Amino acid sequence: MRRRLLAGMVAAALAGTLAACGTSSDSDSGGGESGGVDKVKVGVIPIVDVAPIYLGQKQGFFAKRNIELTMEAGQGGAAIVPGVVSGQFQFGFSNMTSLMIAQTKSVPIKVVSNGVASTGVDGKDFGAVVVKGDSAIKTAADLAGKKISVNTLKNIGDTVTRQSVRKAGGDPSKIEFVEMPFPNMPAALDAGQVDAAWVVEPSLTTIKAAGGREVASTYVDAAPNLTVAAYFASTELIGKNPDLVKRFTEAMNESLAYADSHPEDVRGILADYTKIDEKLRAGLVLPKWPTEINEASVQTLATLGEKDGIFSGTPDLAKLLP
Amino acid sequence: MTPVRRGNPAWLGHPAILGVAGLAGLLLVIQLLPTLGLVNDRHLPPTSAILAALADELGTGQFWISLKDTLVAWAWGVLIAVGAGVLAGLAIGSVPVLRELTASTVEFLRPIPSVALIPLAVLLYGTEIGSTLLLVCYAAFWQVLVQVLYGVADVDPVAEETARSYRFSAWARVRYVLWPTALPYVFTGVRLAASVALILAITAELVIGSPGLGKDIAVAQASEAVPTMYALIVVTGVLGVLINLLARFGERHLLGWHQSVRGEVIA
Repeated sequence: MRRRLLAGMVAAALAGTLAACGTSSDSDSGGGESGGVDKVKVGVIPIVDVAPIYLGQKQGFFAKRNIELTMEAGQGGAAIVPGVVSGQFQFGFSNMTSLMIAQTKSVPIKVVSNGVASTGVDGKDFGAVVVKGDSAIKTAADLAGKKISVNTLKNIGDTVTRQSVRKAGGDPSKIEFVEMPFPNMPAALDAGQVDAAWVVEPSLTTIKAAGGREVASTYVDAAPNLTVAAYFASTELIGKNPDLVKRFTEAMNESLAYADSHPEDVRGILADYTKIDEKLRAGLVLPKWPTEINEASVQTLATLGEKDGIFSGTPDLAKLLP
Repeated sequence: MTPVRRGNPAWLGHPAILGVAGLAGLLLVIQLLPTLGLVNDRHLPPTSAILAALADELGTGQFWISLKDTLVAWAWGVLIAVGAGVLAGLAIGSVPVLRELTASTVEFLRPIPSVALIPLAVLLYGTEIGSTLLLVCYAAFWQVLVQVLYGVADVDPVAEETARSYRFSAWARVRYVLWPTALPYVFTGVRLAASVALILAITAELVIGSPGLGKDIAVAQASEAVPTMYALIVVTGVLGVLINLLARFGERHLLGWHQSVRGEVIA
């Protein structure tokens, strides 16, 4: 009996070994070329913003340029910049402030294509500061001195929220920012742990559906048609394989243009890589996906961020942007 | 695996019924809390909604792939941790100099939370299974090592001296004196490691985004799919129960001869 059980356990362990070998051999050859097709891993966050790359993959925009995509969707994106620099991913998706922070720390990365942009329409953007329905906060100026949650401290969230308050005539230095993941914000707002929350979709629509009220379209207040995030690569890859980068950029631009003109396809593809339910998908405010990076808006974001002291130097946009 | 034929063993009888009743009570509380309005059902959906979401999840291919990814990472992690822990434990435990030499290092490394190693894991393995494994192995290894060290220390000096008097070879002393003494400790270590490994596998996937159930929980959170998130959390709980049962089952059958287990079965 004992022997048989041991043998069974060994067999199970071996089966596990084989299964594991199977998985690793598929993914080992990241960036490698096989039969003229480049296998490319892209570090993304599984949110609405990256719908174009999933759509582009589905539409074959990458395949026809001999790129076989694998999306590595980590939460929060903490792994993306180090992943791209160390070569785990060939490309990554990150917000502009994070990219500028990396640039001021001399991390060897460069933007290769636009990522996502604000709609530029006040009250109809994919990111905003929201409060409870019965809150005394009526305008952005009232946010001064209040406790506001952002997903990451000293990043794009506090920069644009401060600008909304500043624009409305409030004192942005008196805001108390607290860090928490977006999914925790609806509950924190309900329970009164924070006075307001800086959120993006799908939390924004969820909070509004539960009676929350939008007080500032922060991306719109920061700059007209703000470029919020971009796809980037390591300077090493750009130097070593410019052809792959060029094909990726072309495919990405085609994907962005397709997503921007096919909102229904975007809502459909969300079912593939997120778990956003159908009702919520239909109600989401989608961002804009222009192919051009709005350099003036990035410059504004850099200036605002520098004023708030989130960079350890002045971001060199000439080095960061293509 | 079906003990029913042999009649109900003690462990399936009374305590199991109580256990199920306890679980049912918990489910009832979770059903009632939001229904009675004590908590907002947008943040904690009732049991019925969670079960409905669970049924939906079970119907998707992604769920089973994630389940497999988590189990593969868990199994590898336990296997590596137990292998390394037993070898290191026997070696360190049976050589007094080594034991003295490593005692402070072990006590220094052991309390370091595996989760603190996430940046290192990401740098080395990105969002692959390797990241999960690093965290799992680190956490589970100490559980085994420390138990094996206790086990080796527990060897009866008379038995050890007798074996020496009879000129047992070093290997024979390990095989017939050290190993049987340490075995119950090893199994305790394995059981602890198996539970810790599951927790760390899910945590790693949740935080790093390496493939598995934890990543799905993170995606559900980011998607505001609250019932789905709880459904997946329920799955991890069920996995925990199954792994614990499996470990106890293995312990009972492989260690049936040992005093500790015999005593437990009779009681």
